[in-house]
Amino acid sequence: MRPVLEIYSASGMPLASLLWKSGPVVALGWSAEEELLCVQEDGAVLVYGLHGDFRRHFSMGNEVLQNRVLDARIFHTEFGSGVAILTGAYRFTLSANVGDLKLRRMPEVPGLQSAPSCWTTLCHDRVTHILLAVGPDLYLLDHATCSTVTPAGLAPGVSSFLQMAVSFTYRYLALFTDTGYIWMGTASLKEKLCEFNCNIRAPPKQMVWCSRPRSKEKAVVVAWERRLMVVGNAPESIQFVLDEDSYLVPELDGVRIFSRSTHEFLHEVPVASEEIFKIASMAPGALLLEAQKEYEKESQKADEYLREIQELGQLVQAVQQCIEAAGHEHQPDMQKSLLRAASFGKCFLDRFPPDSFVRMCQDLRVLNAIRDYHIGIPLTYSQYKQLTIQVLLDRLVLRRLYPLAIQICEYLRLPEVQGVSRILAHWACYKVQQKDVSDEDVARAINQKLGDTPGVSYSDIAARAYGCGRTELAIKLLEYEPRSGEQVPLLLKMKRSKLALSKAIESGDTDLVFTVLLHLKNELNRGDFFMTLRNQPMALSLYRQFCKHQELDTLKDLYNQDDNHQELGSFHIRASYASEERIEGRVASLQTAADAFYKAKNEFAAKATEDQMRLLRLQRRLEDELGGHFLDLSLHDTVTTLILGGHNKRAEQLARDFRIPDKRLWWLKLAALANLEDWEELEKFSKSKKSPIGYLPFVEICMKQHNKYEAKKYASRVSPEQKVKALLLVGDVAQAADVAIEHRNETELSLVLSHCTGATDGATADKIQRARAQAQKK
Amino acid sequence: MACCAELLLSIDLVNADKLAGRFRKYKVILTPQKFYACEMVLEEEGVYGDVSCDEWAFSLLPLDVDLLSMELPEFFRDYFLEGDQRWINTVAQALHLLSTLYGPFPNCYGIGRCAKMSYDLWRKLEEEEDSETKGRRPEIGHIFLLDRDMDFVTALCSQVVYEGLVDDTFRIKCGSVDFGPEVTSSDKSLKVLLNAEDKVFNEIRNEHFSNVFGFLSQKARNLQAQYDRRRGMDIKQMKNFVSQELKGLKQEHRLLSLHIGACESIMKKKTKQDFQELIKTEHALLEGFNIRESTSYIEEHIDRQVSPIESLRLMCLLSITENGLIPKDYRSLKTQYLQSYGPEHLLTFSNLRRAGLLTEQAPGDTLTAVENKVSKLVTDKAADTRWNLAQISSPGKITDAFSSLAKRSNFRAISKKLNLIPRVDGEYDLKVPRDMAYVFSGAYVPLSCRIIEQVLERRSWQGLDEVVRLLNCSEFAFTDMAKEDKASSESLRLILVVFLGGCTFSEISALRFLGREKGYRFIFLTTAITNSARLMEAMSEVKA
Repeated sequence: MRPVLEIYSASGMPLASLLWKSGPVVALGWSAEEELLCVQEDGAVLVYGLHGDFRRHFSMGNEVLQNRVLDARIFHTEFGSGVAILTGAYRFTLSANVGDLKLRRMPEVPGLQSAPSCWTTLCHDRVTHILLAVGPDLYLLDHATCSTVTPAGLAPGVSSFLQMAVSFTYRYLALFTDTGYIWMGTASLKEKLCEFNCNIRAPPKQMVWCSRPRSKEKAVVVAWERRLMVVGNAPESIQFVLDEDSYLVPELDGVRIFSRSTHEFLHEVPVASEEIFKIASMAPGALLLEAQKEYEKESQKADEYLREIQELGQLVQAVQQCIEAAGHEHQPDMQKSLLRAASFGKCFLDRFPPDSFVRMCQDLRVLNAIRDYHIGIPLTYSQYKQLTIQVLLDRLVLRRLYPLAIQICEYLRLPEVQGVSRILAHWACYKVQQKDVSDEDVARAINQKLGDTPGVSYSDIAARAYGCGRTELAIKLLEYEPRSGEQVPLLLKMKRSKLALSKAIESGDTDLVFTVLLHLKNELNRGDFFMTLRNQPMALSLYRQFCKHQELDTLKDLYNQDDNHQELGSFHIRASYASEERIEGRVASLQTAADAFYKAKNEFAAKATEDQMRLLRLQRRLEDELGGHFLDLSLHDTVTTLILGGHNKRAEQLARDFRIPDKRLWWLKLAALANLEDWEELEKFSKSKKSPIGYLPFVEICMKQHNKYEAKKYASRVSPEQKVKALLLVGDVAQAADVAIEHRNETELSLVLSHCTGATDGATADKIQRARAQAQKK
Repeated sequence: MACCAELLLSIDLVNADKLAGRFRKYKVILTPQKFYACEMVLEEEGVYGDVSCDEWAFSLLPLDVDLLSMELPEFFRDYFLEGDQRWINTVAQALHLLSTLYGPFPNCYGIGRCAKMSYDLWRKLEEEEDSETKGRRPEIGHIFLLDRDMDFVTALCSQVVYEGLVDDTFRIKCGSVDFGPEVTSSDKSLKVLLNAEDKVFNEIRNEHFSNVFGFLSQKARNLQAQYDRRRGMDIKQMKNFVSQELKGLKQEHRLLSLHIGACESIMKKKTKQDFQELIKTEHALLEGFNIRESTSYIEEHIDRQVSPIESLRLMCLLSITENGLIPKDYRSLKTQYLQSYGPEHLLTFSNLRRAGLLTEQAPGDTLTAVENKVSKLVTDKAADTRWNLAQISSPGKITDAFSSLAKRSNFRAISKKLNLIPRVDGEYDLKVPRDMAYVFSGAYVPLSCRIIEQVLERRSWQGLDEVVRLLNCSEFAFTDMAKEDKASSESLRLILVVFLGGCTFSEISALRFLGREKGYRFIFLTTAITNSARLMEAMSEVKA
């Protein structure tokens, strides 16, 4: 027969039951995240959820496979929950945090031949140690060493330790010896708190600490088959009888005692409760409670009690005591009467800050709700405070108690993002796992509940749906995601790249578009990829940009596919000077370009390209024949270079061949000859025929070369309308004035006038003024 | 992927080090955004492991008290030429940042496809983050988004306002300029910050250049007078003078001499006959007379190889003002240009055509029919969703045809409608400007600024339908007014103008002038400061 693993709530409600199909289990324990850790004999640790759902497993090392696990402990530290095992070879291995598994093999205890009589994990300064007892000796193992330790003030005559217990906070340690003697002290063993001799030599079943945080009373609870003994710093012990087989669980502020039919909590009575409820207590809280009761009975004693408190000036303290004591009560009636007392006392106080009272009311409401046996989370007030509301909500979510969790959030007015939204999101994630409900129904149900609650990420829920293998549902859920950018990563994961592409484009985030594009590129064959791009122009231009920098060949293919001959032409033009080195290659490139331009019906570009082919060949020839550098010069510069090199014939020929317009040729020659300062040739040139650009440029260029003599030659040939300008350029202000006067042109006159400087031109200036005056008279 | 070039350089560096046996750790900081492509490039080049990448999400650089720049000069080419929408997200992020800092903008206006897309994306960001800005009081009353391609003309004109001239002449980079030895009158260059902190500059930056020299010499005289005061001082006064005033005077003196130097240098270049002819041609083009003469002027300009960039600029100006060149000129000017500057400029012309900067006139009615058809197609598709916008704005097959048509500039008609060429009665007094035209010597009111002025006056596009249609922007002009107006009257005076694709200093000066006239305060946000040369360079193909 196979064993059965059953999981119950703290109120005994069955949560799960499953047949155990794995190997023998050595130890069971809950992690801080409420996962059930089952340590098997072979070292495997199986992790189950609260509802018996298998989560994962891990191993405590290969060595254990042979040696078996003799004993195991699940322990909790500030870093999470850990597992420690004792192997058949009497070696310890532990992992301080099962969430982040790092196995640590503890050093050997020298000469250890049998299992230790008892052992425990200690946590000190963030390091986990193991304390073990072998016969009369205690050994402390840390990561590197094994050392012997002796408890301070241990009574003599101990030949063996039967039990040891470490407190919830790892601060204290208790040892039970074979002499029936209990030693209690600090975990370092260096200080003894107290000792007790119970005279029972039978090994106890369990021994655990039972104390409240910050309480001075230290006590341990020792359990035998039918007997429970509370031992502390007192000569007497408290004894209880156990009716059934019981199991003790130490907690922050007390000990839970489970048996087949009961769940009890044993704890030290809190100070406030003690003050109020101690028989004949005269503590302010007790008096206030009395006063309130009398007040309800409409008795004047109420006033007497109240007066008594007030006379001692302890009303504030009384109210505080009542509030605090209410927190420690489990019965709503008792909570209420204490709170009523506090409220009553508050009436007689000015400016008593109300928040502690209000908060206690809220906390108790929440606590009572979760303590209900249907829910079964019987936290004490201190535990609740230690846990925080966020963790409590997580635990409710873990138990799928979504409505209660939402009610609590709403009741406590938690911000939506931390509260309701988060829970709804969890709910949705659970919902998508319901395999028996159709995709449509699940999606609709989720959307109805969630709407557009802020902070809910539909893409996260969709991711979960996809995780459960429900791709269609995931896509439906993604539709509700308002931020299209958020949809993209999951769509990619689900291999819905085309959908991802349009979503990415919708989001306007080009980087995202690009991410998808590169995915698509690897996923699809080239043809399909290009087709996809074709339907998405925004993506296409983006990809084109990328190709321009990274993949020139792909760019060409893209243009080819689109029959974009214009761009193909441009592409080959660029190639002709950017990637081709040899002249033949360059010409070939240009030829391809020209063909493309013809196809694009761009005759101009085609012709220009063909001209360039001719020019390139010619430049090559010129370089071969004349030497010097011609390649890659523009047509203009080629001709100029020829003239500068004295190859006038060639220059003429080239100009004819390429049909250089006359005007350009004249400008070009003019500049080149002036540059050479070949004045003779320039004059010859000027007389070769009538200049198509006039003669002012001749004057200008001569002056630029500071040759006034030559400039003057041309000044006389300048056309009448530019004459003044020419004369001014050569510095003949007087003659300029004459011409301007002759022209009777006002603008020319003022131009000349503005050139009249100082005394030398004084006469000229006068002359102009006179001419002006005369002109006006007329 | 403009960043790719730089990235590849750094990859080469890494690989060179590796070859030389040097093993180092490298850090690449990408700004304004780390693109997925960058990481991919690093991976493909096999240096991913050696380099760690960080992102500096830096989007706005305050260059002056009223000027924010995104310093994205590549925006212009990437978007307006390549149809690459990558930077739109960056713009939206920047706007989002501004609204988290200064509260929501109650009045939004915009024109242009990019403006609309940026605006929509920005809105989406705001909705997604359901930020706390909703309840906030707005600090800036208006925001105006404007695409550069709404108005290429203004950006193509020679600048004659001082700050613009300095930019055209010396190139202002990130709010500072390198004055060479010819300005500093020493043998060293000097890097000078140009902003409102510079008292001298602040007074002349918006002035027409013809006033600047007079102003500076007056300033010099005043300064001298202040220096001279110390003659009659007793010891105590002198002490006071030295400890309090002298430093300021010296500082001012230094700045003054710098700006005088800059002026001289500009004068040397610009007062020549050539420059006046150039300006004359520009004005003729703007006004649309003597087109033949201007065309020959441009041709001569090209034949003489005066300046490749200038020639291109004039060609573009001619094209836009004339709704494209007539086919004969289109061919001959291009031929001349190729002969002067080399065949690779075939690609430049292809770029210019695509961007709508240099096009061929469409012969007559047949094309208007096509145009109607195409624009109908576009309206059908542009059902206001961004997705559709994306479809249109990228150069595909239909869209290519569309863009060259749709980008008919209609400048002449717009100019008439908006009265961009002021009637000249008598001399335009540049010392006391009467309208924004002063930034172009009184010849032309910058179109972009006029649009802004008109919309602000009306608080909407109402009554500007015809202009919007002429701008080919019927679907992309929008107004969005907040329902409840919580804006204080003070904030309503404050206007953020966003130029997508860059703005010029002339436009800034013109709007500053408008602000003074109408009691507005403009703040400028631009993807980069631009001018005609930068625009042309962005479109030019150069041999590597």
